[in-house]
Amino acid sequence: MAPLSLCINTQTPLIQFLNPPEAGLRDSSYGGPTGLLGLREGVDYRFSPGGVTRMVYPLVRRLLEKGVLEEAHWVAFNPRGPRTVRMGKMTLHNVSIETERMSGYGKVKEAIWGRIHEIDAAEPHNDLFWSEAFSEYAYYNRITAELIRSLDDELDFDVFYVHDFQQLAVGQMLGTLKPKIFRWHIPFDATVIPEQWRALLKAYLDSYDVIVVSARKYAASLAGLDPDAKILRLYPYVDPGDYSRPSQERIAAVSERFGIAPQDEVALVVGRMDPIKGQDRAIKAFSSIAGEFPALKLVLVGNGSFSGSKSGLGLSKSAVWRAHLEEMVKTAALENRVVFAGHLLQEDLDCMYERCKFTILPSVREGFGLVAVESWLHGKPAIITQRSGIAELVRDGMNGLLYDPDDAGALASQMRALLGPGSGRLRARLARNGRTTSKKCFLDAAEKAEGKLLAEVTEAAVTEA
Amino acid sequence: MITASTVLKLIAPYLSALVIILITVILAWVVSLVIGRLVRQSSPQMAGAARRLGVVVVALIGGTLALQALGVSPGILLLVIALLGVTILVALWAPLSNYGSKYFSDIYTPFKVGDTIKVQGYTGKVIEINPMTTILLSDEEQLISIPNVAMIRDVVVNMSPQAWKEVVIPISLAGNVDLPAFESDLRKSLAKLRLRLDRRFPPVLTTKSRTAQSTELTLIVMLRRPEDRDAVTLEVNKRLTEVLEQARGAKR
Repeated sequence: MAPLSLCINTQTPLIQFLNPPEAGLRDSSYGGPTGLLGLREGVDYRFSPGGVTRMVYPLVRRLLEKGVLEEAHWVAFNPRGPRTVRMGKMTLHNVSIETERMSGYGKVKEAIWGRIHEIDAAEPHNDLFWSEAFSEYAYYNRITAELIRSLDDELDFDVFYVHDFQQLAVGQMLGTLKPKIFRWHIPFDATVIPEQWRALLKAYLDSYDVIVVSARKYAASLAGLDPDAKILRLYPYVDPGDYSRPSQERIAAVSERFGIAPQDEVALVVGRMDPIKGQDRAIKAFSSIAGEFPALKLVLVGNGSFSGSKSGLGLSKSAVWRAHLEEMVKTAALENRVVFAGHLLQEDLDCMYERCKFTILPSVREGFGLVAVESWLHGKPAIITQRSGIAELVRDGMNGLLYDPDDAGALASQMRALLGPGSGRLRARLARNGRTTSKKCFLDAAEKAEGKLLAEVTEAAVTEA
Repeated sequence: MITASTVLKLIAPYLSALVIILITVILAWVVSLVIGRLVRQSSPQMAGAARRLGVVVVALIGGTLALQALGVSPGILLLVIALLGVTILVALWAPLSNYGSKYFSDIYTPFKVGDTIKVQGYTGKVIEINPMTTILLSDEEQLISIPNVAMIRDVVVNMSPQAWKEVVIPISLAGNVDLPAFESDLRKSLAKLRLRLDRRFPPVLTTKSRTAQSTELTLIVMLRRPEDRDAVTLEVNKRLTEVLEQARGAKR
């Protein structure tokens, strides 16, 4: 197969710009063949932590290295970024919309997110697609599609890879005959989708040649809603090379920074500050066993998402959620036992993984749950919500502990199992088997699967033509 | 010796012709505006055609009068135009009638590519509508080519499920119109009609073709009740025209 020219589209940009662009810079381009010339990581920009970009970037990098891709163009929402940024064979194209349109777009995005994750059952948003806010969502998608179309006129891409529900309409709006892949990153359960949403959702999904989901159950549910769709289940992935084994000194230093004493035991939750991540459930479970295990501390790592950041949509839900969690901790008089670590650099996060006894994925619903894979990579057992994509890879008691997020006592009970006397053997077994399982979510596996997918859709397009 | 009166006599016909042309331009603009107001509830395609026709008629009359002012006999000119018209009509009758039918069927015939229709005893899925013919694919995988004129002259049955719900409106946007803003405004405007439309099917705007000069789009709205078809179509067209005018006024 000849190397492909790929156009990727995500909402969250690979690189977030930390300062407003200087006058005139918004319309300019950064870089040259060697990268972000003249800009400093951590000062002028940073790579988006976690989420879709954390997964997609290593794959694109690998496919470029292996010659599967000739070049990649990445279109994303980035109101603070310049128009284009060159990064070797990758070019980032930044989309911006007027501030007054952002709130409408944000409302629709949050409503879809909330509905799919069943956050607010009292507000089903049945008429969402008729709302004024939806016209702004369509506006953002159309702006993005128009940019991609103009790039395609110039660069003649081989294939388009659109990521996540925020960009769902882009495929239909592109109107190209070239192959289009859509990756649905969040959970998919057709039973929670309002009747009034289904026709438009199906119309948008039908515009793609292949729809990729993260778990078998999502694929089955999607097939029920859209029998015409070609659906593929591919597990999300991490690059093990991105994770380091920090020194004991460094682990001690990071622990000390957050008030974790050498004798403390740590239960770790990694996830952005969002109600869907279920930190409240972890706090409740922790408070119910805190008396039994006085050395136990709960560490919550994570900040707001790109949507919540000033360089993104500026939605403030993460700050509200954190305040709510802090209030919960205060009410339970656990201020000295619960640590809000905020966003950590990867090296510090690695230290926290190494320092912890086990990790918890307490999400109400979770598209997949790569933090469990990260936990396994560091040789730590994970307690995993049943309502996650990764749960289908877990055999309870063998490579992880599962729990029902609606069962108030279930999480506490699983935490107890990993802390009580004689729990060492269980922890060791879960960690050992978990590490074996994690290989299904490594970049190597994804490289093969995604490479095959790209080859199939492009070849199919050639054959059909 | 050349006097002022000689010069005036010499340039008078040209001045008259110039004045007539200026008046014609103004009149054409007024006529276009008046027709636009009169047909604002028709489809934007039809309204555009009516306006263009009005402008052409005014331009022809104005042009003839201007030439007459310059001393050219209008009789000969009209005769040449008439003969040219008749020749074109006779020579290209079949394609022109198909092309014309396609134009009208685009606007008034309730089927689109993808629908299954029955016409002149043939049944098949519409896979192409070109300027001359509509191509059906039968269940036996035969290609059936129906001249577009038949779509206007004969009975066409759209057999697709829920076909009665669909109102399909072609839209032609100038290349310099801001498409995202146009779509956003159109959605806001059409949302006001949601009580008359099927709530499960929000409006869908599809790009059919695109050049630097224009973008051809198709708007599909779905009715809630069949008896509302006429009223809703008129209202959608009216709103569409308003948004189009607004978009033309605010080009990129």
